[in-house]
Amino acid sequence: MRLGIVRGHVTLTPAVPQLLGLTLVVLEPVTMANLRAKNGLGGGKSLVAVDALGAARGQMVAFTEGSEAANPFWPNRVPVDAYCTLIVDSITTGNSQT
Amino acid sequence: MFLARIDGTVVPASKHTTLEGCRFLVAQRLEADGSTGAEPLVLIDLLGAASGSTVLVSTDGDIARERYGNTTPGHMVVVGIVDPASAGRAA
Repeated sequence: MRLGIVRGHVTLTPAVPQLLGLTLVVLEPVTMANLRAKNGLGGGKSLVAVDALGAARGQMVAFTEGSEAANPFWPNRVPVDAYCTLIVDSITTGNSQT
Repeated sequence: MFLARIDGTVVPASKHTTLEGCRFLVAQRLEADGSTGAEPLVLIDLLGAASGSTVLVSTDGDIARERYGNTTPGHMVVVGIVDPASAGRAA
């Protein structure tokens, strides 16, 4: 999983039936330099992920990419390749805490 | 599969229900020349890897599905800790 910061939400009208009712968030992946600097910046190429946890704008999440991102919808088949798996409370790296 | 160096731990505020009780680590992917990837990775740890250790990561979700059920979004599982005696050559 990678880390990303929620930058906004996406509303689709219309969408394929499998995506109706899902919450979609725009994520900006966080680079190691920005994570260490604790500057609230991302730095990666943004992407859209499904969020079932209710992450708010500005919160950091860890997101799953690839076919595993569709697992929560099993046995339904959905066209999803990024899924917010957890919302970060804090990260401890070395001897610093963010 | 790839090697990664453990940088620390992630405390989740909330997480997918299938991953209740999991330990999450933040790590950096290691390249053959010893450099690290630009973006940190969040791994599921079953083995108790320590900060600073080098681990083998599998991006296959099968081991997570086996353990946490078919609906788990978990992947990137620590499947081994590199023997410190060989870590200098491996990483």
